[in-house]
This record gives sequence, structure tokens and C-alpha cells, in this order.
Amino acid sequence: MRIWIEFALRESLRFLSHLDLMRTWQRALRRASLPLVYSQGFNPHPRMAFASALPVGATSLGEYVDIQFAINITDKEMAALQAELPAGLEILQWRVVPKKAPALMSIVKAAEWSVKVPDDQELPERVQKLLQSASLPIVRRTKRKVSTIDIKPYLYRLELKPSGRLEMLLAMGGTGGTKPREVLELLQIPAAGSDLVRQKLLLAAGPYLQSPMAVLLKEKEVFFNAKADYYQL
Amino acid sequence: MKNYKEIFWQEILPRLEKPTRYLGNEVNAQIKNHEQCTMRIALVFPDLYEIGMSHLGLKILYHLLNERPQWVAERVFMPGADLEKIMREENFPLCSLETVTPLAAFDLVGVTLQYELSYTTVLQMLDLAGIPLLAADRSESDPLVVGGGPGAFNPEPIAGFFDFFVIGDAEEVLPEIVQVLEEHKNLSRQERLLRLVALPGVYVPSLYEAQQTAAGTFLKLAPAHPSAPARVRRAVVADLDEAYYPTDFVVPYGSIVHDRLVLEIFRGCSRGCRFCQAGMIYRPVRERKKETLRQMAQKMVRSTGYEEVALSSLSSGDYSAIGELIQDLSADLAGEGVFLSLPSLRLDSFSQDLARQSQQVRKSGLTFAPEAGTQRLRDVINKNITEAELISAVRDAFAAGWTNIKLYFMLGLPAETDDDLLGIVHLVQQVLNTYKQAGGKGRPQITVSASVFVPKAHTPFQWFGQIPEAEIRRRQDLLRRHLRLPGVHFQWHGAEMSLLEAAIARGGRELVPVILRAAKLGCKLDSWDEHFRFDLWQQAFTENGLDLAACAQRQYALTDPLPWDHIDAGVSKRFLQREYERALKGETTKDCREGCLGCGIALLLDKENRGVCINENLD
Ligand code: SF4
Repeated sequence: MRIWIEFALRESLRFLSHLDLMRTWQRALRRASLPLVYSQGFNPHPRMAFASALPVGATSLGEYVDIQFAINITDKEMAALQAELPAGLEILQWRVVPKKAPALMSIVKAAEWSVKVPDDQELPERVQKLLQSASLPIVRRTKRKVSTIDIKPYLYRLELKPSGRLEMLLAMGGTGGTKPREVLELLQIPAAGSDLVRQKLLLAAGPYLQSPMAVLLKEKEVFFNAKADYYQL
Repeated sequence: MKNYKEIFWQEILPRLEKPTRYLGNEVNAQIKNHEQCTMRIALVFPDLYEIGMSHLGLKILYHLLNERPQWVAERVFMPGADLEKIMREENFPLCSLETVTPLAAFDLVGVTLQYELSYTTVLQMLDLAGIPLLAADRSESDPLVVGGGPGAFNPEPIAGFFDFFVIGDAEEVLPEIVQVLEEHKNLSRQERLLRLVALPGVYVPSLYEAQQTAAGTFLKLAPAHPSAPARVRRAVVADLDEAYYPTDFVVPYGSIVHDRLVLEIFRGCSRGCRFCQAGMIYRPVRERKKETLRQMAQKMVRSTGYEEVALSSLSSGDYSAIGELIQDLSADLAGEGVFLSLPSLRLDSFSQDLARQSQQVRKSGLTFAPEAGTQRLRDVINKNITEAELISAVRDAFAAGWTNIKLYFMLGLPAETDDDLLGIVHLVQQVLNTYKQAGGKGRPQITVSASVFVPKAHTPFQWFGQIPEAEIRRRQDLLRRHLRLPGVHFQWHGAEMSLLEAAIARGGRELVPVILRAAKLGCKLDSWDEHFRFDLWQQAFTENGLDLAACAQRQYALTDPLPWDHIDAGVSKRFLQREYERALKGETTKDCREGCLGCGIALLLDKENRGVCINENLD
């Protein structure tokens, strides 16, 4: 049985790398005695995949993992799994997905982020300027090359809340995207950016961005219309 | 007390390169409220988390002590360079992982002494903790510092840094030690130590003084207090099957060096390789029953969720029912999607049968340790395997699907000649040919590793010196030139590290100021290439009027008093002397499971627990 699990990742677990998180889940699944489907071959590994790697140091209120179980899963098994997850990992909801469903990784399109920013009188102005610029070129370095990319098309929404938190809706995934770190850099906010939270992951469903669970429910529960609501900002 | 935990978590942790090694809240970590505990014990492993967490002894003691609800044992490792820098610059003391409690606030600090090259790290850790490095300088409010592990079998080079040592199987006596300390909490350090000396395996170095001969040379370390025994007897777990073994191992978040469950199937080794300290100081062989092991494996997997279980011992193939054990265990574990691996399976005991059994076992690479390249030299070191046995075992392994084989050799063994080194080359060529004959496709991966012989205390080779550095290099070079073969990867160890290891391993108390000086000069993590500073070590020796190379090469006469004579490891000096003499004559000694040789261990065991150890003394 293949299921998607939405989970929160909090507290000290934000220091886990993607690989650490993968191992942590696998070991919790084995402690809960929940048999998984394994890949064939010399070094079989469980069929299990995350929607997206979370940057080390960030917490999340809406991560997703796709797991294929060798058994039927009910709330009882999920409770057993929750009991074995270390403090800081919390299952929020789960749903059965069709066997043929695409990999989450290939369909995530955007993520909503929230980060605490330091008090700075000039910040609102910088945010405003950013939103008004026609293009936002940034420099990306990989081991092999240095390239300049315009991230403006990936910045769906940016808002400084009175609470002192900056909220962002940023594109991600195969067709291009940007990371909170890059936006924070443009705003001249120190990279350490404490208390970075990924609020939710979103899929593209036609012209809309929806939560993965909503897509599954096929209820067309529209979270928001990307174009109408966010590009205008 | 400052809220160290809050400062560490809020202000320090986010700045570290590998924060997960400092979280201390891994699955199965034991987190207790100190205020409800009567004894607080810090278990120190003088290396990084990834190394220390791979060490079995530490895991056993950690869980054993925490079994008592009123005691708390917490782990302390050497911090990485980034954290060490922050600690020194911002005056943040070395703390335990679980509750971020300063090391100095514990009642007892237990240090694992796994290798000589970790000694300066011990001192750096004490320094980071603000605990005086010399036991004599510690005040009543400082914790007692105890050392244990193989290093404690020659405690003299570090005697000054420890309030006491535990010689032998610590799990046998540590609970008793902690209990005595708990009962006498209000007594002075000295008084508490005096209560401990009566326990087996406890050595309090401050109660001993070096005596000299009329000529001014070292005679012996003799008790300077009436309660101190003339010789300290090693503590022994007599019945391993009944002994405590944890099944709820801590599960690290990040990957560590040996990232798997460890199932200790037996302790000790009866083969009697003459260079091998483990083979002498862990005698006799004590096995766990197969059914016990199967239950343990099940429980371990259930409580940790690990994907791999490794059999562990000095030579797993020697387990009396190894074939059945592998068969049953792999059947048990297959249902859980768990691998079985045999990292310590040695060529000596690898058979076709075993190869077949191991079909279900992860083929992660087999380790074979012929140790020497010719039969003559293998006879000298009492490594009782022939070339034919070796080749047949390799053939079986290839036939069973292995392509990845590690061959371990030692260089600089007593009586070694260039012919013996060329014998290594010859053996490797034979292995390559065997691969072709066995119909292996492409190239096998043969790793040939040659470590440098380091004479160790309590072995038949304890009287030999190490060969000079230039000679080590020449021999390494000779091997390197001849082992440029397709499919062969040659690994060798830094000559300087082996030299230092040898200089410390058989030293006496004269080394205390040397090691102290080396630490003050900044030496730490000496087994790590990037930290090892041979120049500083040489300086530390010279400043104390000693020559590092001379210490390493020091040859003892059979009649010489040795700095570790007052430590009774169980194996008698007479037995070691006889083995030394037989080595010189190239005579082998049989595996003592075929017939007891009277090595002396029997005297350490109760009559009903002697098992195969029937002779009290050499016949
Ligand atoms: S007493 Fe005998 S059987 Fe036991 S370890 Fe010594 S030689 Fe081997």
C-alpha cells in the first residue's frame, strides 16, 4: 500500500541532513515493525521518497514522504509509527495514493516559508523595492560554473508581517525556483536567518497551487490562485 | 549553575558544522534528571563522536550503569575543531551530550583507553573541562578520573593523569566501584580510593612507588600503602552468556564509522598469535550461546530499527557453531529486511561451508589476515595457517561471489627479512591467479594493508624493540614497488605514528611528563593525519631528556623488570617467555582449545567457571 504522509519537523531535528532524516524514518519504520516494499537488486533499499530536501537548520510544518508498505495501513499502524518517531517528528495526516501516482519530487512546485527577521527600519522599503523590480538577478555558484539567474519569476509572494516575520511563497522544483537564502541575501538579511520554517509544500494542479493532500482528495480545494493572488503583490 | 544547555543549544549548536553529533537526544539515549540521581558518571571516549559511538565497550558500560535508576551515565566525546575553538574562545566547558552538564560536575569520569594515540586527546578533554590534568593536582571537588580498556594494561605512561584504573572487563567491576563511591560520597578522595583497591582490577597508581636497583635502574613498582596489592589482578567476566549486554543501543542520527548493530559472539581468542595483545589480555575464550545471540539480535533490531547486524569477536570464524549461527541469524533477520555482516571473519577459519552459509550475508568485503608473507615468519609469530589453506579459502570466497578482499599484513615483525616481504607479493599474486582460475570477471578488488609491528605489553613479543624508522620506510617502499599490480590497492601506515605508538606502548612512568608536554604543545587526536604533529612529539621527548626513537626500539632482556610487571593480566610471564623462546626457534604453539597450555588464566577463574582452561600452570 502506497501512502503519502504529511509531517512536521521541529526542534533539534532541524539539524538533520536529508540522508539523516531518511535513515531516521527507515529505522522508526523498522522499530514499529511495519514491513516496506524493497527495490530489487544487489543492495535493496525501501521504496520511500521525500517530496523535497529541507535545508539543514530549517523546521517545517508540512513535509511530505511517500512510502510503499508491504501491508495495509490503518490509523493503528500510523499510531505505532508515530510512537517510534523521535521527538520532533510528528505525523500530521496521511492518505493512500494510487500505485501509479507520480513521485512527489517531480510535482512539487512551490513552498511557503516564514522566517524571523531582525528589527530594521529600512527593511519594509527594501521589501517594497524588491517587489517592484522588473528583474532580480542573482549569482549562483556550483562546483563547475558560475551563472546569473533572474529569480523574479520565482518570487510569488513576499510579505513582511507586523510580527517581525517575513513570509515568502517561492517556486521550486524542476522548472526552476529560488531558496529563502537567496531572497534573504537580496534583502541584506544575515544568512543565518534564524527560525526558518517551511510552512507548506504545494503542487501545481492546472493553474493552481494546491496542497498535495488536497490534490489527492480531488476535491479541487483551491488553496490559492497563484496568478491572481500573488503576482500582484 | 549556568544554564549550559540553553546557551549551547541557542548560541553554539547552530554555528557548528555537524550539529547532530552533539544533540545527545538520539533514540535510546538515556536522559535523566540529575537531581534525582545519587551518582553521575561521565563516560569519555577520547575521539570524535563518529569513532566513539562505534565502540562496543562504551555502549555496554553506558547502558549497564543507566540500568540503575539512581545513577546517570552520560557520553562525552572530543569536540570537532570548530566546537573546540568556540569552547576555548568563549570559555564554554566540555559538557556531556545528554544534558549538557560540565564534565567537572560529574562524580566519576570514566575514560576509554583504546589506543596510545588517544592519550593527548584525554588531556585536551580534561583541559577543556577545567579538570586538573594531574591527579595529584585535583581538589576534593573534582571528579575521580578512571581509565579502562586495553591501554590500562600498561598504565604507567599515563599513571599520573588518572586517580585509578580498571584492568580487564570493566562491566564486571564498574557497578561495584560506583556503589562503593556512592556509599562513601562524603569521604576524601584518598579515603575513597583506599576503599576501591580491594576490588578486582582496580589499580590506584598513587599508591605505588618505583623502586630502583643499586645501579639506579628500574626495579619495580611497589605498593607504598599497606592496602595496595603487590600485583593487580585483571577483572574477568567468567560467564559471558550470563553477562550483561545491552540491546537498546543508541541510534545516531548521522552516519558513524561502524554504523550497525554489534553482536559480540565471544570474547577472547585461543590462537595465540604472538604479536597480538588482544589475544593475550582477553583470554580465555568465552562464548555466548547461539540461542542467546538469536534473542539478542531480535531485540536489538526491534529496539533500534537498524538495517545491519554485525557479528563481532576477535575471529568470528572460530565460534564453535559459526555455520549454524549464520544460518539461523540470517533466516531470523531476513524477515525484517536486515543484513548480517561478518566484519571480523578471518581467513583462518573461512571454509567452503561458511562461504555457502554466507550467501545471504552482505558481501561487503572479506578481511583475511595472514599477517606475514612466508610460512617461516608465520611460524615465528604463531599464525598457524598455510599458504594452501589461504588460497583455498580465497577460492571459496571468490566462488561464493566475493570480489572485494582485504589482506592484512604486518611489517617489521621480529626476524623479518626481505624474503618475507617478497612472500607477501607472492601471496598477493597467488590470490590474483586464483581469481582468474575461479572464473572471476574483470578485476577483483584486493586491498593489501601493511601495518607496522608495534610491540605491546603482555605479549610474547613485549621484549622486542621496533625496527628503526629508516628501515620501516625502506620496507614499505619495497612493498610499494612490488605491489603495483592491476586490481591491487596497497595501503600502508605512517611510519611516524607507529613509532610514537611503540614509544608509548612499552614505556613507564617517565613518559607522564612527556605526554603532558605534548598535550601542552597542542598535540591531540594523534591518530588523525591532519592533527598528528610528530615534530611536537619529538620536542616533548627531547625536553624530558628522552629519545623517541630509542624508546620505540628499546629491547628488553627476558630477565629485565618490566614497567607493567605489577599488572596481572592473567597470562603468566613464564608463558610469555616460553612463547618468546619458541618464536626465536620458529616453533609454533597449537590453539589452546585443542588442549590447555596452562597459560595462567585459569588462576583468575573460579574452579567451576574454568571451561577448557584446565591447567593452572605450564606443564
Ligand atoms: S588456560 Fe589453557 S585453555 Fe585457557 S586460555 Fe590459557 S592456555 Fe588456553
